[in-house]
Amino acid sequence: MLIELLRTGAAESPDQPVVQWPGRSVSYSECLTRAEELARGLHNRSIRRFASVVEDVGDLLALLCASSATGSEACVYPERLDEQRIEELTMTFQHPTVITNRQLNLTASHVVKLDVLRVAEGALPTGPLEFPALVLTTGTTGEQKGTRQDWARLVSSVRHPDERPGARWLLAYNISQFAGVQVLLHVLASRATLVVPPSLRPREVLGVMRELGVTHASATPTFWRMVAGLLDEETAKEFALQQITLGGEAVPSPLLADLARLFPGARISQVYAATEFGSGIAVHDGRNGLPLSVLSRGEDADIRMRIVDGELQVLSRVGMLGYHGEERDEHGWRPTGDLVEVRGDRIHFVGRSSERINVGGVKVDPLVVEELVTGVEGVALARAYGRANAVTGQVVVIDVVARPGADPVRVQERIKAECGSLPPAARPMRVRFVPELELRGNKVVRGPSTAGL
Amino acid sequence: MSDPETVILDTIRMLLERRGEEPTALRPDADLYQDLELDSLEIAELSVVLEDEFGTDPYTSGLVPRTVIEVVEFYNGSP
Repeated sequence: MLIELLRTGAAESPDQPVVQWPGRSVSYSECLTRAEELARGLHNRSIRRFASVVEDVGDLLALLCASSATGSEACVYPERLDEQRIEELTMTFQHPTVITNRQLNLTASHVVKLDVLRVAEGALPTGPLEFPALVLTTGTTGEQKGTRQDWARLVSSVRHPDERPGARWLLAYNISQFAGVQVLLHVLASRATLVVPPSLRPREVLGVMRELGVTHASATPTFWRMVAGLLDEETAKEFALQQITLGGEAVPSPLLADLARLFPGARISQVYAATEFGSGIAVHDGRNGLPLSVLSRGEDADIRMRIVDGELQVLSRVGMLGYHGEERDEHGWRPTGDLVEVRGDRIHFVGRSSERINVGGVKVDPLVVEELVTGVEGVALARAYGRANAVTGQVVVIDVVARPGADPVRVQERIKAECGSLPPAARPMRVRFVPELELRGNKVVRGPSTAGL
Repeated sequence: MSDPETVILDTIRMLLERRGEEPTALRPDADLYQDLELDSLEIAELSVVLEDEFGTDPYTSGLVPRTVIEVVEFYNGSP
């Protein structure tokens, strides 16, 4: 359980930082003391379900560990929400209590200040029978949903943590995200240190990675592409990276090559995971896509996969129990929404079922276009999407962020030339240069960009 | 804002040139389908360019002009 992982860490290396920021840190033993104080408070007040609006990662970690000690269902809300959005979420997810260190005036929920919740003395609650948690989806491909999770299942999915001593993991996700929870679990399971940057802006994150000697970093391909654009072979030598993990979005192969060139000493892994089904597979061979062998996993596997009508389906023992509002626990195969193609011994991601573009009856998968365009010299990021058109129903258009110093006219010519290899219906009819793509949790929000325009 | 006739003719020329054809014989009364043999993707691209340039285009307005001049007339307000 989460609290047990913290207890093990505190017993083995009490003074080691579990969370570190530039200029301060919280040790394993300090975090455990805080978690046990909060567990008493949750127990004494009989708080069974709550939302967390706590932005200090040390406090948040302690609160999550406390919830696993009492069996209270914690739900971490995204960072920096305004009061109105918090109120909306409490109503959507029926949260009777909000635990926070902010000054909040909510009408639909009871607000409990974090400091008031702490109880220094008294017996600790006995171990609960269930360990629920509610994790919100990022909502990059639709509305935000709540997934009912179980800490026991989540912890069991981290069976083989990377236990190299002195590991320092970057937190490049919000802990409200499933990927952020996964990073937390890996840190606790391997008794490592979580390094928290002051923001997720790539330049600032890089500064913290260098200053605090981050060894393990898990982030989205979008994030890594921005990082790759800021570094060259010389400046990349200033980093101590041993492990680079990419997940949450399809990984373009040019990006894998860029990262291998910049960080030749690091192992590069791609994780196929989702809030709904957990972490399905980690691939370390430097090729994009998944090995075909994942389709042959036996019945004892935590996560099995199959392809039905071009869409990947998953059967998971470590995934969510169901969505919030669904009373029944789900144990069957679930569609992932990820469209795939088998090429040789590899499963390649070609798009999302909800994003497929229909150009006069020809189905176009936007990721195929994006993969091609992001490989063009001078392109930092690209996002293809369908635009309504009276003649063909939809046409393909693409938003592009150019690399600093690139000449947009030349880049556009190269994109057009490169896209000549695509079937005519898949060629973008408009290439729009934008200063940035809209991101949520460092994942590109699908659809046309409104960011920075 | 550019002149609609210029944009229309330039776009059709670009489409023909991309196909490897000489657009020298581009006459205002040329039939987009029979004479110029534009396919639906090329017509769609013409409509995208016109919509971006002028905020509207004949196809989005429910019209299906047959000739170059009919597209021009959409912007001139002529029948």
